[in-house]
Amino acid sequence: MHEPVDANADLLTPPVLSIGGVTKRFGPLTVLDRCSLDVAEGEIVTLLGPSGCGKTTLLRCIAGFWAPDAGTITIDGADTVRVPVNRRPVGVVFQSYALFPHLTVAKNVAYGLRMRGMAKADIAARVARALETVALSDFAGRYPAQLSGGQQQRVAIARVLVLEPRVLLLDEPFNALDAKLRGAMQVDLRQLIKRLGITAIFVTHDQEEALTMSDRIAVMRAGRIEQLAPPEEIFDHPATAYVADFIGSSNFWQSHAEGGRVNLPDGQSAPSHRAGDVTIMVRPHNLAIRPGEDGPLKGAVGFQRNIGALVEYHVATDGGGTVRVMAMRQERGRSIADGTRVTLSILDPNLCAVYEPQ
Amino acid sequence: MSSATALPPRGMLRIATDATLDKLLSGRGIWPAVPAIVVLAAVAVIPFGILLSLGFSDIAVERGAIISQTFTLDYVRTALADPLTFTVFQRSMVLALSTMLLCLFFGYPVAYLFLIGGPWVRRLILVLTIAPLLTSGIVRTYAWLVILGGRGLVNNTLIEIGLIERPLRIINTHWAVLIGMAQIHLPVMILPLIAVMSRHDRRLDEASANLGASRLGTLVNVILPLSVPGIGTGAALVFTISYTTFVVPQLLGGGNYLNAATMIYEQVVYSLEWSKGSVSSMILMATCLVVLVFIALITNHFTRWTKGREA
Amino acid sequence: MTPRRQLADTLAIGAILAVAVVALILLVAPSIVVVIISFDTRAYVSFPPVGFTLDWYAKVFEETALVEAMLNSLQVGITVTGLCILLGVPTALVCVRGRFPGTTALSVFVLVPHMVPGIVLGVAVLFAGALVGVGPSIYLQSLSIAVFVLAVMVRTVMSRLQRLDPALEEASANLGASPFQTLATVTFPLLLPAILAGAVFTFVEGFDNLSVAIFTHGFRDRPLPVELLALVQTTNTPLVAAVSGVQIVLAIVALVIVAATIGLDRVNE
Repeated sequence: MHEPVDANADLLTPPVLSIGGVTKRFGPLTVLDRCSLDVAEGEIVTLLGPSGCGKTTLLRCIAGFWAPDAGTITIDGADTVRVPVNRRPVGVVFQSYALFPHLTVAKNVAYGLRMRGMAKADIAARVARALETVALSDFAGRYPAQLSGGQQQRVAIARVLVLEPRVLLLDEPFNALDAKLRGAMQVDLRQLIKRLGITAIFVTHDQEEALTMSDRIAVMRAGRIEQLAPPEEIFDHPATAYVADFIGSSNFWQSHAEGGRVNLPDGQSAPSHRAGDVTIMVRPHNLAIRPGEDGPLKGAVGFQRNIGALVEYHVATDGGGTVRVMAMRQERGRSIADGTRVTLSILDPNLCAVYEPQ
Repeated sequence: MSSATALPPRGMLRIATDATLDKLLSGRGIWPAVPAIVVLAAVAVIPFGILLSLGFSDIAVERGAIISQTFTLDYVRTALADPLTFTVFQRSMVLALSTMLLCLFFGYPVAYLFLIGGPWVRRLILVLTIAPLLTSGIVRTYAWLVILGGRGLVNNTLIEIGLIERPLRIINTHWAVLIGMAQIHLPVMILPLIAVMSRHDRRLDEASANLGASRLGTLVNVILPLSVPGIGTGAALVFTISYTTFVVPQLLGGGNYLNAATMIYEQVVYSLEWSKGSVSSMILMATCLVVLVFIALITNHFTRWTKGREA
Repeated sequence: MTPRRQLADTLAIGAILAVAVVALILLVAPSIVVVIISFDTRAYVSFPPVGFTLDWYAKVFEETALVEAMLNSLQVGITVTGLCILLGVPTALVCVRGRFPGTTALSVFVLVPHMVPGIVLGVAVLFAGALVGVGPSIYLQSLSIAVFVLAVMVRTVMSRLQRLDPALEEASANLGASPFQTLATVTFPLLLPAILAGAVFTFVEGFDNLSVAIFTHGFRDRPLPVELLALVQTTNTPLVAAVSGVQIVLAIVALVIVAATIGLDRVNE
């Protein structure tokens, strides 16, 4: 395994949130393994990974619900590991929203201010402004059960924003919403956070959500951060085969590299920083498909499906295995019929990634 | 979001002793439960120990206080050798077991009706089941005196329609006790059954019907096996209260009708034979426990499907 | 299915439902009979009644022994409820939220007195009291009934607590509330319906319990069930029916409270 990613290099301003070597064990199980991450002022960083990768554990450590076994968590340079939950400048939007069912929308939003002993008039003014920010002014007197999922989410956000947290933590906030609403809510939420200039950590297992919401994505695997980079870089240059497999779909081949170049399955070659046995990854949209047998990478179309403007072909290659190819759908259905013999070629060899052999 | 008044810092209002209070009230440690534990120990656990010790001692009681206590096995020996002990406990056991079966016979159909019934039927069943539980046991037993008494509902009706000429003696018989007990303890059987039924997945019944089962077939092969936990709980509860009840046999059985509870009452309150009473109480608890274990074993046997996958 | 099997099925299910209806009638019929009797003009109990009068109800409140017994039982009911809330709610919190080995053992321990026959608990308390010189009294009675029904309160509150989203309390802490503030502003208000429901059942037990009370009540402070038992055994007038009528009205009030606070369908949990 490679060493944990060091993320401290590319920040220009001092980080708002700095996580250093955080480790968390539950009995024999290491859930977080030396995680390090710096988040700059106003940045949205997503923790992305499958369930059990440690992303929620890291979030709960930052919020203070759980104490890490090792490592530091500093906010504005001050160590927070020993600060009790209720005194951390951190706001959490829970997956279930955790709105208090016995309090109205306004009282839910006022809750944190009340806990600090603020004067009633000041509370009312702040609550009114917070509700305005999330466009829920008309719903102040309602109870959470009387709101839609999207409205509940906005209450949960207003409830923490009114406390002006230094860091906003969002734990899969779109899980409770239906698919159609999610897309719109993602855009709205990102715009709101950006407009208010809040530093945010966002946890999800949904890559599309991560690509929409984030300034940077931390892809997590088994308690470690595999890659920390902006969305485009994660997608175009995945650091490991795991990241490539998790984000977008990918085709893998075993190959051999020598003298700084690696042989590609269609006969071309690409530059390689590795030598010896390697795994190469080619995205489906980096492959061209044409009927006929006039190249080294041949096969037969086994299955195809339309995804809007695109067609995804599953090609059973002669070397064994299935290769996925994404192509623009032809007008008037001039697509390639199932069973047709086809030849594949790589469009841009420089976009092929080379990893250690698997 | 900026504002005219600045946000007060977090945790400013906390007072110094608050932290200790917080720790106490968070419920993470055992402290909030300590008063309950102390009271339960003083008013239940220690008294049970004393009860046990009294059964093995010769005591002298004066003005309601125990003044001397010496070890002896006499009371245990006498009680076990006494044919009356055997008769009374056998009678109580037969009564409790038959009450349990009667309650199951009348209770299960109610639970089935609850399962297939609409919201109004369900609400009606809940009201009719819970209301008696909130009413005094004496009141409910008294009702049976009115119904079964010499000039009660049953006798008057029978005379009216000419079936009998003189009132039947129903009250002060074993049957009166059994009828009263079964009716009075019926809600206790129904409640756990309803609890199981309200969790029952009705799609299983639809699947069963789709696979060709009749309604009776579904009831016997799907609903009944899945409701065994409720039957077990209900049976255990009804058995325990029927086996140890005092009111019903006292009122409907008449002065000479002894069950375990009325015998203990006489020994302790009237004849002041406390050591005898202790031994009877212990026999009552022990035999009750044996039956409960037996019910639990049967229930377990029929609910093997609830156990998790074996390693 | 053949028509014959279809018919057999319909008959079987019909028979089962008929038994259910009989059972439901049996559940209420006796109480209704008692209420009807309580308005009878005759001085002995007989059915059906021949006239209508409210005299027996007036008599109930003229009998000093009965009124005193009712007040005693009222006091016991209130004391039992208070004790169960004070002891039971914190215990339920610990059983669900405790972070120490033995929470399961604790929740079983609390249930033990309720699983022991009431009559055995009553005898045991009487003997233990005699050993240390504490005689039967209204206080001993209240305390022992409270111990007997504490389990009901603990179970009711525990089941509500287990259904609460743990994120609610985390959210409260995250918004700056101390554990005490969280308890006072979030946990307690959300537990209130369960506490109220538990209070109804513990009050009814305190008011009506006989099995524990016959051994532990004070000789001068006879509670209603003890008084009523003696009355049933010694008199044959509809006076007892009238007392029963009063109790049935109280039961209906309790039922309405339960229905309004936690809902009837939650009683089982």
